[in-house]
Amino acid sequence: MPTVVLMDASLSMTRPVSLEQCSEELQRKNLAVAGLTMLFEHMANNYRLEFTSLVAFSSLWELLVPFTRDYNTLQEALNNLEDYDKTCLESALHGVSNVVQQEWGHACPTQVVLVTDGSLGIGKGSLRHSLQTLKGRPEDKKFPLPFPFPAKLFVMCIANAEELQMTDTMHNLEQLLQLNGGDGQIFTMEGQLCLKSVQSMFGRLIDEVYSPFHAALYFPAVLRCGNLASDVQVFPRPEPVFLDEEIDPMPRHILTDLEIVGFIEIGDISSPPVMSRHLVLPIAVNKEVDDVGPGTTEEPEEETSANQQAGKVPNFCVLLHGSLKVEGMVALVQLGPEWYGMLYSQADSKKKSNLMMSLFEPGPEPLPWLGKVSQLGPISDAAENPYGEDDSKSPFPLQPKIKRSYAQNVTVWIKASGLQTDVQKILRNARKLPEKTQTFYKELNRLRKAALAFGFWELLKGVAELLERECTLLPDTAHPDAAFQLSHAAKQLKLASTGDSQYAAFDQNINPMHTDFSGGGAGM
Amino acid sequence: MKMFSVSHKTAFVVDHCPYMAESCRQQVECDVLTKSRGQGMIPLAPVSKSLWTCAVECSMEYCRILYDVYPLKKLLMSALAAVGPPNPQEDPECCSVLHGLVAAVESLCKITEYQHEARTTLMDTADRVANRGRIICLTNAKSDTHVRMLEDCVQETILEQNKMAAGSDRLMPIQQCELVLVHIFPQGEDTLVSDRPKKEVSSLLTSEVHSVRAGRHLATKLNILVQQHFDLASTTITNIPMKEEQHANTSANYDVELLHHRDAHLEFFKSGDLHMAGSTSRDSGLKETVTLKWCTPRTNSVELHYCTGAYRISPTDVNSRPSSCLTNFLLNGRSVLLEQPRKSGSKVISHMLSSHGGEIFLHVLNSTRSTLEDPPSISEGCGGRVTDYRITDFGEFMRENRLTPVPESPDTEASGKPPAERAKAQLERYTRYWPMIISQTTIFNMQAVVPLANLIVKESLSEEDLLTCQKTVYNLVDMERKNDPLPISTVGSRGKGPKRDEQYRIMWNELETLVKTHVAGSERHQRVLDCIIACRSKPPEEEERKKRGRKREDKEDKAEKSINKDSEDKSWQESERLKGVVERVKEEQGESEVIKDSPDSPEPLNKKPRLEEIQLPEKAKGPVSLLTMWTNRITVANSRKHQEFAGRISSVNNKAELYQHLKDENGMDLHENGKATR
Repeated sequence: MPTVVLMDASLSMTRPVSLEQCSEELQRKNLAVAGLTMLFEHMANNYRLEFTSLVAFSSLWELLVPFTRDYNTLQEALNNLEDYDKTCLESALHGVSNVVQQEWGHACPTQVVLVTDGSLGIGKGSLRHSLQTLKGRPEDKKFPLPFPFPAKLFVMCIANAEELQMTDTMHNLEQLLQLNGGDGQIFTMEGQLCLKSVQSMFGRLIDEVYSPFHAALYFPAVLRCGNLASDVQVFPRPEPVFLDEEIDPMPRHILTDLEIVGFIEIGDISSPPVMSRHLVLPIAVNKEVDDVGPGTTEEPEEETSANQQAGKVPNFCVLLHGSLKVEGMVALVQLGPEWYGMLYSQADSKKKSNLMMSLFEPGPEPLPWLGKVSQLGPISDAAENPYGEDDSKSPFPLQPKIKRSYAQNVTVWIKASGLQTDVQKILRNARKLPEKTQTFYKELNRLRKAALAFGFWELLKGVAELLERECTLLPDTAHPDAAFQLSHAAKQLKLASTGDSQYAAFDQNINPMHTDFSGGGAGM
Repeated sequence: MKMFSVSHKTAFVVDHCPYMAESCRQQVECDVLTKSRGQGMIPLAPVSKSLWTCAVECSMEYCRILYDVYPLKKLLMSALAAVGPPNPQEDPECCSVLHGLVAAVESLCKITEYQHEARTTLMDTADRVANRGRIICLTNAKSDTHVRMLEDCVQETILEQNKMAAGSDRLMPIQQCELVLVHIFPQGEDTLVSDRPKKEVSSLLTSEVHSVRAGRHLATKLNILVQQHFDLASTTITNIPMKEEQHANTSANYDVELLHHRDAHLEFFKSGDLHMAGSTSRDSGLKETVTLKWCTPRTNSVELHYCTGAYRISPTDVNSRPSSCLTNFLLNGRSVLLEQPRKSGSKVISHMLSSHGGEIFLHVLNSTRSTLEDPPSISEGCGGRVTDYRITDFGEFMRENRLTPVPESPDTEASGKPPAERAKAQLERYTRYWPMIISQTTIFNMQAVVPLANLIVKESLSEEDLLTCQKTVYNLVDMERKNDPLPISTVGSRGKGPKRDEQYRIMWNELETLVKTHVAGSERHQRVLDCIIACRSKPPEEEERKKRGRKREDKEDKAEKSINKDSEDKSWQESERLKGVVERVKEEQGESEVIKDSPDSPEPLNKKPRLEEIQLPEKAKGPVSLLTMWTNRITVANSRKHQEFAGRISSVNNKAELYQHLKDENGMDLHENGKATR
């Protein structure tokens, strides 16, 4: 889950903190930097896979550090932060929205950490003003919250609660959270403003959001394939899913026991749509589950040797990954009741590859071409191997019971060209009678059926006339059968066009006229 | 879209009143004369459709698109008042559209299969299942007052039907109904009814009026309506290279418009990139479409794309040549990537068209950065340093555990477990004993064990399976007798690893472990285990004895060597010796004098000799491993090249006692660590 740090760089952040016992003069900005330094250090130590970016704002906003895993760069930018003019939160939030969408699209859950002193501007551009003018804005000037992507907003106030409550700042910030769907939290400092209290505030943020013990980012689970199993961490943590809110409004979480159902070829599963993707990282069993995320290094040296040891113990994930990669297959895994996903090998570069899990949409039939997942059984259940003895066949994809319009020969005459093509087809075949008798009548009957269904009797009359004319245009060399069939067909169409139920029954077909020229044909 | 929104049920009501027989006054030339035959011929008069024909074919088109995109869970009731065009002479009263509307309301009240299912599965929350529906009425209204009269009629019918439905199991009261009145009038006439956007007639009924000219305009209108009603959006694929019909060696580029669920454009909507993404308005601003460019090279099917959505499509002009070219291309199993032009001029592959079993889907590909980029390789994590995973074997295991759709039948339900549970059960059986690395196993590295290993995991064994398993065991016994080498891993042990018979002991133990995990399965599984236990047949003493025998041989061998020169690996020898002594002491305590302690002594208390006897003829016809065949062949070939050893000639059961002369001469133990042999 990427994090955007939105840092207030307005002049009010340079207000000094009045401290009796502290000799050095500190600004609120210094406190903010100290708090963020603590956060960055924590991230660098615990979540090396996380991306963080730094945006500074005043009346304008600027992306100081694009999303990175390099916390030194972030720290450096933070240390060199300059001071600007007044606070204008709305435009900054627009900025955050843009930055996140450009980088991750609209589906990636993001955490926004807003660091401010709580003086949120005055007049136009202030938060108060923005909130007052929420209603009746034109479409292109909407307030940036709620974000178009799932986002949690954390407001870190370099001020204590009393200070904020004296003005309407607290109220405004709470309103801001509400706009974000209530997703987030406001943190304030307790007691005097000093390094200690800012650290305790960021400590609370870390405990709430970035704590390895809450496993907010990693999801511990057990991956099972029959009796083979491995303890794993799923990264990033899968978000709870809501199905149809009307019928099933409860959020769905994935199980901690991920059980493999069976295996399917990549070609058969064929780039299925997924809700999210997650790394599946094996973890050593004997250690505390929570502090073994990749990149968790409390004491680097010990960790290394422990890691090396863990590296030498065979792990099912590695075996599974290796075979999935070699065979070009995926493992179908059950995530919950009527909820499935797939495990496969994902290569990031030529050298590095990893075990990845994608989650399908919950439901009994996430992929139409596989059918109901609960109806997928072992091949040994089938009378004969559905893959063939030499792997030349596959039971997938499933064919739908009814063909789609583009896969069958439908009749559409909305555009004149559609009608003309169908008429021309009949005429082409008419000229090749009697060889094309079968196709001629097939096309003729298709047209007749459609015309009857549409109540388009005029067309039947028209085509009958066309056939009669074709009959008169037949060359002398033509087979005599051609003339008979043409006039027969024309007559039948004419009869149908009267709507007489005897001739215009929908289910009826015009049958070729029975003629026998085998005897006298040669002499003519 | 919510499951039970108004789109759950749609009823079409097409007016069958005499006026609908009126011509739409748009003419269609059906006699297109080709240049070669056209001279001097008078083309036939063009035909024109009636209002009725227009209405029917447009409703059919609406349904066609709908069924293509939503083959499931959307019901559509086409309440055509009657089939066949209306009769202009008929009495207008008796075929009023009102009857159709009443029938439509009645049909909306009927509970659908999905609603019924949802109600029964959600017993406690059954009230969440709603009944909403839509009526699309294609008619020719006389005036706005006439329209109001139709609305009132629907409203009243709903109230009436809801009263009835309250007391019925098969009916559900309508909570919301959307009436879409489409007034059709012929070309060249002025409309008597004005357009009106959606308004609420009551809490139950909303109504809107569209006034459209028949023919082409009606088709466009219904096309727009189907998009609005079912959350569809349009994508135009441009630059599709197609061979020309006349000139096969040239190709021109064509465009094809497709309809699909709107979510396929979600990324564009959210980012506000819609207009950048080549969105153009066609048909005089009535329709919006997103343009995506055909992209060669194509993708192959074994690539797993990161795809965030897949939506069924329907071509807007299904029978046009470009459309059918594209759909046929896709239906033949090929996929094509689509490119989205960006404002910066850069190109991003954003979608893919692909067919799955005769259905074409528009896949949305992820085109943004992933938070999962550059993860640590799996080789850096737990178990990453292990190099001898049984990758190939697990691959084989995966192939055997591939899934296949099992048709739903009362049969499978009767057997209790759904297929997916059976698949899991199979995985459980197959993995009861499954060492992950090569150096952890002997039996799975042996070709000779394969038949048994493959069969024992089965849920039930046939008599034939049992026989094959037994043959495998006999074959192993045979190998042991011939002292064939085993593929025992030497990893982790110094030197040459365990001795041959120790290897066999390990192998038998492992085989027993494998089979033991399955004995609960059936009586035949148990019999396989019985067979193994019987064949390996070495009670501990016997085994120890054999081991000691081997050691003695070793010792004797060494002793002989040491006659010539002093053994250099004395320390090793010493330790071995000590072990030997301990063993001997133990053995001598427990062993009775009666049992002969020579390798050729018949083994007591086991069936082995008997088994060996039957084994030979069996072996001749039964499956023999390639290794065995080869070894036999080589042995035979080699034996021709040299004089047979005296020992082998005089051997009993292929075993010869060595140094018999010493025994004869001394009649006593002569080695420092030897012991009385007789």
